[in-house]
Amino acid sequence: MKKAKNPFEEVYQANYSKVIRICMGYVNGDENLAKDLTQEVFIKVWENLDTFRNESALSTWIYRITVNTCLLQLRVKKRTILGERRDKIQDEIEEFESSEESQLKQLYACILKLSEENKGIILLELEGLPQKEIATITGLSHEVVRVRLHRIKNSLTNCVKNERI
Amino acid sequence: MKEFENLKSQWENQSAPGIPPDGVEQISEKMKTLRRKQWLTTVTLSITVLVLVAFFFFISAYKVPVVTLGLLLMISPLVVRIALEIFSIKAIENMDVSTNTSKFKAKIVGYYRNRIKIHFIATPFILALYITGFVSLLPSFKANLSHGFYTYIQVSSVIVLFVLGGLIANTIKKELSALKQLRDRD
Repeated sequence: MKKAKNPFEEVYQANYSKVIRICMGYVNGDENLAKDLTQEVFIKVWENLDTFRNESALSTWIYRITVNTCLLQLRVKKRTILGERRDKIQDEIEEFESSEESQLKQLYACILKLSEENKGIILLELEGLPQKEIATITGLSHEVVRVRLHRIKNSLTNCVKNERI
Repeated sequence: MKEFENLKSQWENQSAPGIPPDGVEQISEKMKTLRRKQWLTTVTLSITVLVLVAFFFFISAYKVPVVTLGLLLMISPLVVRIALEIFSIKAIENMDVSTNTSKFKAKIVGYYRNRIKIHFIATPFILALYITGFVSLLPSFKANLSHGFYTYIQVSSVIVLFVLGGLIANTIKKELSALKQLRDRD
């Protein structure tokens, strides 16, 4: 007989991909750091699952935990992210990547330059979340999110176009 | 905006790591390890305090006022510093991570401000008390210990002080930088 999945496992399976991609945005695309962060996110989800009160969608609640956990990682991993990773990316780009791959890496580097709040907003947008949901996650008004997104999109596009990392 | 849409589609099509098949087990294991670590820390700290208290009575330090004062000046600030560290860790652990990002950010900024106060007000005071206690014990060390061991204590204390100073400075630098990054506007 097939073993039934526990509720946490279902939550984990359904949200893992989005969570790890948001985390990657905070650590300049470093998969290993993103995996560690994702694990931290789901530990918090596990610990707090019984406090979830259905005031928003479960996924919205998980993305809040994701963005907040990524904010906390500033305490420990900053140097690794900004230093070693950037050097590695520079080498990789110069060597043999296609222009799309290199553009993606530039996008990561440009995201890293944003303020912490704007980083969260644009990563949620890139993951296709509606502006209203982004507003719920960030605690900003829908109008503020709309204006900010417009500005961040412009500056990101310019950054990717003009800047070599 | 079309250019942004291109970037977005590249973002969507990038290869991200797949779901680990044993992810839930890993999380469960990590949680057990974290709890074990917390328990170990508590036990280690309790044993340290017990050893210090036992040492205090073993050498009958309470009979010599200068030694009593010196040891108290060394041990009490350490206990206070450890307590502050535990409070800080608990403060981070107890933060509601499911609140909205703006509120959460304000809480982290508050946390870092408190940490800076600890570093710039409490730590120098604690360090000064600790050094005063140590210096006040030096004559007793000189009178009761061999010349070699006395020299060893003097040299190692200076080294420990520098290493500790370096570690504290590094933490302050990291936390100040995190605070600055959090306060950066668009």
